[in-house]
Amino acid sequence: MKHDIFKVRNIGISAHIDSGKTTLTERILFYTKRIHAIHDVKGKDGIGATMDSMELEKERGITIASAATFCEWLDHEINIIDTPGHVDFTIEVERSLRVLDGAILVLCSVGGVQSQSITVDQQMKRYKVPCIAFINKCDRSGANPDRVIKQLREKLGHNSVAIQIPIGLEADFNGVVDLLSMKAFYFDGKNGEIFRTEDIPAELLQEAVKKREELIEAASVFSDELTDAILEEKEITESMIVTALRSGTLSRKLTPVILGSAYKNKGVQPLLDAVTKLLPCPHDTENEALDMDNDEAPVILTADPKKPMVALAFKLEEGQYGQLTYIRVYQGSLAKGDAIVNVRTGRKVKVGRLVRMHASQMEEIESIPAGYIGALFGIDCASGDTFVSPGLSYTLTSMYVPKPVISLAIAAKDSKSEVNMSKALNRFTKEDPTFKTYVSDETGDTIISGMGELHLDVYIERMRREYNAEVTSGVPKVAYRETITRKAEFNYTHRKQTGGSGQYGRIAGYIEPAEEEFIFDNKVKGGAIPTQYIPACEKGFKNCLAKGPKMEFPVTGIKITIDDGASHSVDSSDMAFQAAARGAFLEGYSKAKPVIHEPIMKVVAETPTEFQGTVMGSLNQRRGIIFGTQDEGTMCVIEAQVPLAEMFGYSTILRSLTQGKAQFTMEFATYKQVPQSVAEELMKKAAEDKKGSQKK
Amino acid sequence: MLENGFILRHPLGKLTGCESEEILPEGGFGAVMARAGVGKTALLIQLAIHSLLCNKNVLHMSLNDPVKKVGLWYKEVYRNIASQYSIADQEQIFENMLPHRFIMTFEVEGFSVPKLEERLTDLMEQNIFRPHVIFIDGLPFDESQIEPLSDLKAFVKNHSLKAWLTVRIHRDEKPDLDCIQAQLNSVEDLFETIILIQPEGKEIYLKALKGGKPDSVATGLSLDPTTMLIKESDWIKRT
Ligand SMILES: Nc1nc2c(ncn2[C@@H]2O[C@H](COP(=O)(O)OP(=O)(O)O)[C@@H](O)[C@H]2O)c(=O)[nH]1
Ligand SMILES: [Mg+2]
Repeated sequence: MKHDIFKVRNIGISAHIDSGKTTLTERILFYTKRIHAIHDVKGKDGIGATMDSMELEKERGITIASAATFCEWLDHEINIIDTPGHVDFTIEVERSLRVLDGAILVLCSVGGVQSQSITVDQQMKRYKVPCIAFINKCDRSGANPDRVIKQLREKLGHNSVAIQIPIGLEADFNGVVDLLSMKAFYFDGKNGEIFRTEDIPAELLQEAVKKREELIEAASVFSDELTDAILEEKEITESMIVTALRSGTLSRKLTPVILGSAYKNKGVQPLLDAVTKLLPCPHDTENEALDMDNDEAPVILTADPKKPMVALAFKLEEGQYGQLTYIRVYQGSLAKGDAIVNVRTGRKVKVGRLVRMHASQMEEIESIPAGYIGALFGIDCASGDTFVSPGLSYTLTSMYVPKPVISLAIAAKDSKSEVNMSKALNRFTKEDPTFKTYVSDETGDTIISGMGELHLDVYIERMRREYNAEVTSGVPKVAYRETITRKAEFNYTHRKQTGGSGQYGRIAGYIEPAEEEFIFDNKVKGGAIPTQYIPACEKGFKNCLAKGPKMEFPVTGIKITIDDGASHSVDSSDMAFQAAARGAFLEGYSKAKPVIHEPIMKVVAETPTEFQGTVMGSLNQRRGIIFGTQDEGTMCVIEAQVPLAEMFGYSTILRSLTQGKAQFTMEFATYKQVPQSVAEELMKKAAEDKKGSQKK
Repeated sequence: MLENGFILRHPLGKLTGCESEEILPEGGFGAVMARAGVGKTALLIQLAIHSLLCNKNVLHMSLNDPVKKVGLWYKEVYRNIASQYSIADQEQIFENMLPHRFIMTFEVEGFSVPKLEERLTDLMEQNIFRPHVIFIDGLPFDESQIEPLSDLKAFVKNHSLKAWLTVRIHRDEKPDLDCIQAQLNSVEDLFETIILIQPEGKEIYLKALKGGKPDSVATGLSLDPTTMLIKESDWIKRT
């Protein structure tokens, strides 16, 4: 393994569904001679020799399923990191974006910039990932790369600049003219593996010259050398342009555009060239960790192999070879036999086998230096954990934290346990941002909350084992929420005359559903409510959110706009307007069709096929919506969404239904409205609880 | 599924002359044919969404894509449809559709009609899901498949279902109608309706090779290449 960090590329391939991400990845692995290997090794049904590109596609899945695949091109080491793609906002996507330094944005030459391209692009923007665009499917009828380049500008705000022009389009798409070298590129051979360079066809020369000028002009913004050369009319070399383009790309101020057709084996090699020339190496990107010993102050990491080690476990994979932990080292170096610390748990572990994944096999390696990606065997950790050299206390993941969906009252059995419990809670909340604890105002109980039943169980168990704290726990409670479903107006006057000075305030406006948790919008004109009282109005509304009027669950997803009101020179006060806001809220809320929302979990169960009917039945009984089943030979994967409230104790049930042969995972998916019948049950129960507690 | 005030017609109505789900008879097979990468999946899913909007239960079987990807496909195609026809309350309608759709994926080698039958029986017996229409994406169509296909047809008929299938034309084949006809010969009898997606220049046309109105090859429908939605066919209409 050579270690030239300037020749390392950690890249992702992002795409709209079906624009050819899989096909492109496959071709890349083919030209970098990674896929070939698999057939040589396995010789699957003798396909190896005769396999054409269509059949190659069938091989997908096994070849490119890994979280990070290694390949080499022009002496560069490239890691292709699987960006879970297409999906909306998930922690998994965020994590994979974090470990890559650059990306290829794949677009379809016909479809262009579509809704998912927009989502993907926003994610890359958030993580400041430099990218180059690959306009794929130039062979399809309706192909129009110019239009796509324009859409990149108009819809995504990229400064997109073509570094190639197509030689023919649609069925006649034959190759590309490279505007850097001013040569024509063709791709011969059965799989386009023979790369041929020719002079630019005469009929394209004029256009090429014109486009090259545009390219140089766009690039010159990023290079004084290039600007000078233009002004002084000196010769402009290819390397000058590349340097300028690279600098524009790294700062995300320019997006070079490359053309091709993965399916027809055209344009993939120049894309790889561009990856090596234009995308960043680990040195070019700045990475930050948070120092837990110093109030989470940010620290810049340097890709220096000699410094203390900091690494992120970004993906766990249960593969044919056992449990693999994919890791990116940001600083220092990780070597076999090293002792490293998992910052979240504080536990020290010894590094056993280290490997690097290729499409077809894995390679044992001795160490993973800063900037590199590799995988560890047999390390017990969670995805997103940070590993460091002993002595450091840095964390790489203070990213997006979902709100807890479940809570539980706990109590210590005796005073010694009480002390230990609070120590433990203190530690856990530091380690795990999704685990929270607080004391209930009403009952005085200590409440812990988190992302699922199992999540909380693990911590209760750890209190016992590691902290000697015996605790009893109550019944888990689902974190229901309230929200409204339509717009409603309010116009409320608060008026009170008690002896001397009175209270007066009137607020009018409307309440409506919103995406955000809470928005307050002041549209009052002409001082109908004096400006000094507006904050009191907002506070009054905000105070209503903690306990919703419907069932005392927190209220989320509302927007309140106030547009009129009245005040009294003597009787108005902050107090009066706060009270008016409360009245206004109750008035509007009751008219806005309030509903209860409950957390819905994404449940993925894996079972031997013989039990799949039984398992589906059990999910169905739990108000689950089964999205589908994936048949994988002897095993079958069932994907469903099930309300969290119905999933308590499911692991025991699943075990007994399947002789312990099935497994499931569960993670929070979304909040959804509770069906009417269930809402009624909830109300009935709440009323009973209330009666019960009043008797006490 | 849609609120009042909408009239739904079949997206292929202009081609086939039938404006309802009855475009296929009970036990009927419909084919969506095209070369790789032209948009079979997108068209198939449009037909499926139409069925869902008509309150039919849809079983989607895929031999290419995992459940997650198929799910994304539905979301994407639905979003495009909803914005094209300005359907209010988009997300809610989509959510309401989900319990009426079931995705089943198989590995190509692992698929067989008896297996499908077993799965489906499982679903129906437990009252988990009972399809009205099946959409099958990615079943290979070569000589060896004729028998399983006839079995599938019998199965569909026995359960009073109907099915739409994608058929991939070989890429080496010239896209002229005779060649396609030749490829189809072996299985043609199984299908009541055959729709071909055919790119011509900047346009993508739909043609009914079978089951169409007599003049349909001439009139044709076209697809918007960006969204792969059927153009000029206002199949969702406001009253
Ligand atoms: N015509 C054409 N089709 C392509 C090209 N690249 C991919 N496809 C086809 O587009 C479809 C989706 O490709 P896939 O790689 O699975 O897309 P993904 O969803 O982005 O992973 C498949 O049918 C491919 O054969 C291309 O360059 N030209
Ligand atoms: Mg497809």
